[in-house]
Amino acid sequence: MTDTVQAGRRKFFDLARPSRQHLLGYILIAPAVLMVAAIIVWPLILAIDLSFQQVKIPRLGGASRPFSVSNYVWLFSSQEFWLACWVTLKLVIVVTAGSVAVGLSTALLVNNRFEGRTVARLGMALPWAVPEIIAVVIFAWMFDTSFGLFGWLAIKLGFTGQMIPWVSSSTAAFWAVAITMVWKGFPFVSIMCLAGLQSIPSDYYAAAKVDGASSFQRFRWITMPLLMPVLGVTLVLTLLWVFRDFSIIKVLTGGGPLRSTQTLSIMTYDQAFQYHNFGRAAAVGVLTLVICIIASLLMLGRRSKSIY
Amino acid sequence: MNKRVKRLALGAATAALVTMGSFAPAMADTVLKFISWQTDDAGTGEWWHSAIAEFEKQHPGVKIEFTKAERSSYADTMTTLFAANQPPQIVHLASFEFQMFADSGWLEPLDPWLRKDGIDMTGWAGQKTCEWNGETVCIMTNYFGFVMAYNKKIFDEAGIAVPKTYDEFLAAAKATTKDLNGDGIIDQFGTGHETKGGPGQYLTEMLNYIIDAGAYWTDKEGNITIDTPEMVEGLTRWKTVMKSGVSPVDMSASDVRKLFADGKMAMRLDGPWLYGTTEKGSAKSDIVYVAPPLTPPLGGSSNVLAMPSDIPDDQKQLVWDFIKLTMTAEFQRSYATMGGNTPPSPKADVSGVEKTIPHFPVLLATMKAASEKGIDRVPIGLELYYNEFSKMIMEESQRMIIQDLDPAAVAKTMQAKAESIKG
Repeated sequence: MTDTVQAGRRKFFDLARPSRQHLLGYILIAPAVLMVAAIIVWPLILAIDLSFQQVKIPRLGGASRPFSVSNYVWLFSSQEFWLACWVTLKLVIVVTAGSVAVGLSTALLVNNRFEGRTVARLGMALPWAVPEIIAVVIFAWMFDTSFGLFGWLAIKLGFTGQMIPWVSSSTAAFWAVAITMVWKGFPFVSIMCLAGLQSIPSDYYAAAKVDGASSFQRFRWITMPLLMPVLGVTLVLTLLWVFRDFSIIKVLTGGGPLRSTQTLSIMTYDQAFQYHNFGRAAAVGVLTLVICIIASLLMLGRRSKSIY
Repeated sequence: MNKRVKRLALGAATAALVTMGSFAPAMADTVLKFISWQTDDAGTGEWWHSAIAEFEKQHPGVKIEFTKAERSSYADTMTTLFAANQPPQIVHLASFEFQMFADSGWLEPLDPWLRKDGIDMTGWAGQKTCEWNGETVCIMTNYFGFVMAYNKKIFDEAGIAVPKTYDEFLAAAKATTKDLNGDGIIDQFGTGHETKGGPGQYLTEMLNYIIDAGAYWTDKEGNITIDTPEMVEGLTRWKTVMKSGVSPVDMSASDVRKLFADGKMAMRLDGPWLYGTTEKGSAKSDIVYVAPPLTPPLGGSSNVLAMPSDIPDDQKQLVWDFIKLTMTAEFQRSYATMGGNTPPSPKADVSGVEKTIPHFPVLLATMKAASEKGIDRVPIGLELYYNEFSKMIMEESQRMIIQDLDPAAVAKTMQAKAESIKG
């Protein structure tokens, strides 16, 4: 009897058996799942929980406050939130479009054979390699209102008679942030597009040339459709980066002047660490997450359908 | 069998040694964490190090782990540490940021400790700021008065006298703002204000003009007093100074101070800490410190020492010993001699400090003048909302300057928004 039970157990834990192989898969993946749950899902649950509490500064292990939707009520009735949404949307459109335009152009350029191509490829990827905070500090100096390089250039080139108040003018501040973000973001698009371009068989171009297709037609009817899977994913990743980026705006403008560069991520930070309203900050964070998920699903969905 | 027993004994002994070895340092040393933004400040940082060295000498086996956190992210760091239940044992905070921690009940009331040691805080500059809900929750480490430093060489070249009033100050600033090489870019500014360091600093900078005009954000009962003719005058002055181009814009405090220290600016209104920068600047020999032309001088509480309420009692005693040490006559004097600061203790012996810091009497006089008038940067009744309030004031002031709005209308808007923030 005992022998039969033990044999049964051995059979159950015999992971080499075809019927038990899926168990081995689950066991192998379990540490990774637990790790992801610990570092992503648990903080997410905490943030969602916090967003439904009226709490100033929370304390780890402290008692929870009663359930409340007041943070969301405040958020939807707050002019600040809608302004932050508008600024984020503007920045997402401008920076994503700028990064894709510059990134795709440089990728097309360095995909051609020419002398110094290796150096050009290296130069193209350089902004990506520079740590973000260092890049922003350099740009902050170049955009300095009193002694900055861009203001000096504008005077020397005759565009203006005086230094440009990059950080104390709402319009200039927005463009200062956007230019810095495009500079930092385009190499990623470029690298991804270059990888996509190199996977397109050269036979297609040769055949199109034989058929008399012009350069633009080859780009329109061969390059773009075949690049779309890569470009689609790149667009989503760039969009998410712009959505969540904090350090560029914080260092350059701090969200000002007059909240003209205050995005949702800056608003989250301000609510948490400036005003000590962690409940409200969590609500902004949760809504940002929801917006990002919806945007990603929409973009990936549309891309997938158009490609396949 | 015998061999197995020997092996087991050897293994056990090794394990015991390893275990004891790893415990040994922990038993020998009690470590108190002390986080500050002043660890390497010229003068003040050295003073903290000297206090720590003396404390460790008096308390063998106790170490203070003195760690730097940048001022720009200091409040974030402390908020995170308190929220994570890991506050440092010695709590060092700016005088406008301790209120949130005190209001959450995270700071130990210090009245019983003061009573136990018979310490009389009468006359301790700025100590009233440390009272929260009727209890003393911190000890004021620094209360300062603003001074004016000017570049004598620039003044002599422009042929102007040291200003004594706001009008003279503005005229001097205009006379000394110059494009020296004719490239269309101003190379020498009349004065300088920090407008990029955050709302709190912005408020401090503009407060010089507001106080001189006889205005303030709140009265002694905590009522909002922004919509007044005096405030309109103060806002008008700030707008005039910022729009007339006599100050560089969008600069951090350290950049403004460096510019002044290197002879690119004629005048600077600042606290005692300016001296550390001017001593390292290329225009060091041309800089003179005098009482500011804007009166009463801006002053206020700067930073405080406190202890968390939920650390073990033995650690509380050690932290109190450290705080007490910094309050002794010896360390209050060295706060002046080493740090060039004005000690808050009324009994501090500061005789002879002027031999090493010539302008020390000016610092002392402005500190006393500000203290007597009850000047502080943190408005009564708005302590808990200071960040939100200062951001609102900064934004409305920026709007006034960028959109060229009437200061009277701006004062009305500020009044309404401040009342809304206060609830």
